Amino acid sequence: MSSAPPAATATPLPQPSSRATRFRRRQGWVVGVALLFGALVFWRYSQIPAFGPFEIRGIVAGTLTLALLAMAQSVIVISGGIDLSVGAMMVLANCIAARLMLDQDLGPVILIALLVIAVAMVLSGLIGAAAVVSGVPDIVVTLAASFVLSGLALIVLDSPGGGTHPRFQELLVGGFDEPLPATLLLVAVLGLVWLPFKRSRLGIATYAVGSDRAAAFLSGVRVGRTRVIAYVMAGFFSGLAGVVTTAFTGSGEPRASIGATATLTSVAAVVLGGVALLGGSGTLLGPVLAAFCLALIPALMLGLGWDPNYAEVARGIIIIVVVMIGGLVQIPRRSR
Amino acid sequence: MTEPLLQATAVAKAFGPVVALREVDLSVAPGEVHALLGANGAGKSTLVKILTGVLHHDSGTVAVNGAQVELRSPTEARARGLAPVYQDPAMIGDLTVEQNLRLTGADPAKVRHELAEMDLDGLDLDEQVRDIPLPFLRMLDLARALAFDPQLLVLDEITAALPPDLSDRVFAIMARWKERNRSVLFISHRLAEVRQHCDMCTVLRDGRDVASFHPGSEGGESQIVAAMLAEAGAGVRDVARERAARAEGERAQRLVVRDLLIDRQDAGVSFEVAAGEVLGLAALEGQGQDRLFEILSGNVRAAGGEILVDGQALRARHPYDAIRRGVVLVPSNRLLALLPQRPIRENIAIPLFNRLGRWGPINAGRERRQVQDAVTRLSIDTRAAAQARRLSGGNQQKLTIGRWLAAGFRTLLLFDPTRGIDVGTKHQIYDLIRELADGGAAIVMFTSELREIALVCDRAAVLHNGAIVAEMPPTASESDLLTAAHGLEVTAV
Repeated sequence: MSSAPPAATATPLPQPSSRATRFRRRQGWVVGVALLFGALVFWRYSQIPAFGPFEIRGIVAGTLTLALLAMAQSVIVISGGIDLSVGAMMVLANCIAARLMLDQDLGPVILIALLVIAVAMVLSGLIGAAAVVSGVPDIVVTLAASFVLSGLALIVLDSPGGGTHPRFQELLVGGFDEPLPATLLLVAVLGLVWLPFKRSRLGIATYAVGSDRAAAFLSGVRVGRTRVIAYVMAGFFSGLAGVVTTAFTGSGEPRASIGATATLTSVAAVVLGGVALLGGSGTLLGPVLAAFCLALIPALMLGLGWDPNYAEVARGIIIIVVVMIGGLVQIPRRSR
Repeated sequence: MTEPLLQATAVAKAFGPVVALREVDLSVAPGEVHALLGANGAGKSTLVKILTGVLHHDSGTVAVNGAQVELRSPTEARARGLAPVYQDPAMIGDLTVEQNLRLTGADPAKVRHELAEMDLDGLDLDEQVRDIPLPFLRMLDLARALAFDPQLLVLDEITAALPPDLSDRVFAIMARWKERNRSVLFISHRLAEVRQHCDMCTVLRDGRDVASFHPGSEGGESQIVAAMLAEAGAGVRDVARERAARAEGERAQRLVVRDLLIDRQDAGVSFEVAAGEVLGLAALEGQGQDRLFEILSGNVRAAGGEILVDGQALRARHPYDAIRRGVVLVPSNRLLALLPQRPIRENIAIPLFNRLGRWGPINAGRERRQVQDAVTRLSIDTRAAAQARRLSGGNQQKLTIGRWLAAGFRTLLLFDPTRGIDVGTKHQIYDLIRELADGGAAIVMFTSELREIALVCDRAAVLHNGAIVAEMPPTASESDLLTAAHGLEVTAV
């Protein structure tokens, strides 16, 4: 009673997936969010009789901060972590920038902006290193760090105040009817910072670490170093978000609740933008578009004459419904 | 004599109190295909991980081309000319193949060339790894390793999940490597492959190298089996006599499995177990036993075939369905089955809750009584009662059986119930299994320790490639079982 060795039949090569399937799998979510964004913009456009540069600038510049925080959160989530301190980091950067930039010339103001971003990168890197070295889960370390950063922000600026140079404001977020600067800034960050990073070995390593730490280690990725670099990248985005806030509002605002709300909204944008909370997949474009969708909803509700409180309810429901639909679309893939 | 390409001397490694390698010497000459053999848990994988920089040994030395080396990472090992292909392909599912190659610094052009040599140039490197079937992933992993042009290619059970034609391509590569005076360290459970393609073999047992010889020589196979098994050790109880004493009366078939497809391609598994009977299942690693048990316990659905419990079909969508029909599983990973942070009492009572009442507070008195019964019956050491994870492995295993004891069951599925347990507790568990069977339970037990079949089972079945290839009396010799488990014909029964 035994089986004869099976005859050596040729095993067929797996059929490569078609271009369409591949596109749907890899870019489907981003396209979906982009369509949602388009629909919301069109809706908003039809609400306002005069939809012009002023409105566009309002949307882009007003959401820029949230979009940048969504990027910061995405990088960390892609690397397999989560960062509850991005909002506090933005508030701290905003306070440092507003305090130092007050009554300065344009030249020093720009230098201060770069300095603030550098400080945010270093601080965020330290937070990441603390998580990696201690082995304490990211969520705990970054939550603790958010308290530290909020406290530091109040030490730097104990009440709303500070200021910046008006030229600097125009340069970064544009005048009231100039949508171009803010849009350019967003495109530049995505195109000149994120895309090269994503295509580098470091970027691939970031995805690898988030996807499967053990396999990444076996592939020769230095896991700890890669995670810290993801935090440094996040620091860049949240530091820039703080600088942009300074330019947009022309002052510093140390309230901790702003940071906390911003952090949670960034997580919402990440989820809505198709970055798996388990890590290893997703892009930055999705969360950026999602951030715009999230920002458009209250404006739309306002246009409908709804109570702004219902807008929050609507936001929550939209997140759940969209993510659920996205999950349903992805199920056939999992059972392969 | 030429200097060995790889020389490991007195390598030892322990994980906490568990000693994986006691003292292992391994010497691989240039131009040699060297097989590393051993039963499950003998230390093969640990040794491979040490040689490829994943783990660092506690003591001993590793030398490459006569120079002692410290391999701190897989990258460093590759730089020294040691390239591994692990049991689980070290590729990241969310990335494309091409991105995976860049991660390790492998040259995609070279990998494509190697794939072409294997006649696999139809594989698309822009495909995401998770969309590629496992056998081809292994071949890709192999091509990636070859692209580093290693002096020593380490293949950890690469053929285990490969269809025969792909295995042949692997053997062709091994032959080519040998021609180039480079070496291969080949790990496989398939003795036929070892005999045919390897020049030397080293057998590990209990973390030591117990023998090194030419596997191809006359009687090589029996020499391997003998070295792998060594002592047989008489059982504490005279099982044979007890077995004969049991009445051979007509017994109802409790669990009937017909043409159960573990995987779509398999031939299907069929067996029957009667009430009061212990069926021992023997198999090499990766023959589908894990999945078979998952299917029987309602955790995974079969691709086809049927399961009858007491003559009625069981179509479980969830372990709950199987448990309600009295079919319960004791899995191999004890901590997976237990709630490690919770006390013994809760661990035993969990499946009990279904019976103690669906709503409202749990009747604490009844719960305590039933739990206490189980603890006494199993003589579980309750000194560490507050947290199940602090119990020893043996006590944890008793606990996983004990929870079903309290809840009641009719069919018990035991997956390697004595893995990593000391000898004394093992015998307590054997006694318990016999006692349960005598009480009328039907028991299916998979074991990686073949001697247990003679010690506890009434009948043995051998699983190979997702099908039962042989049924034997429990008195069948271990070498017969092992031969059948390798998918070979058993000549002398």
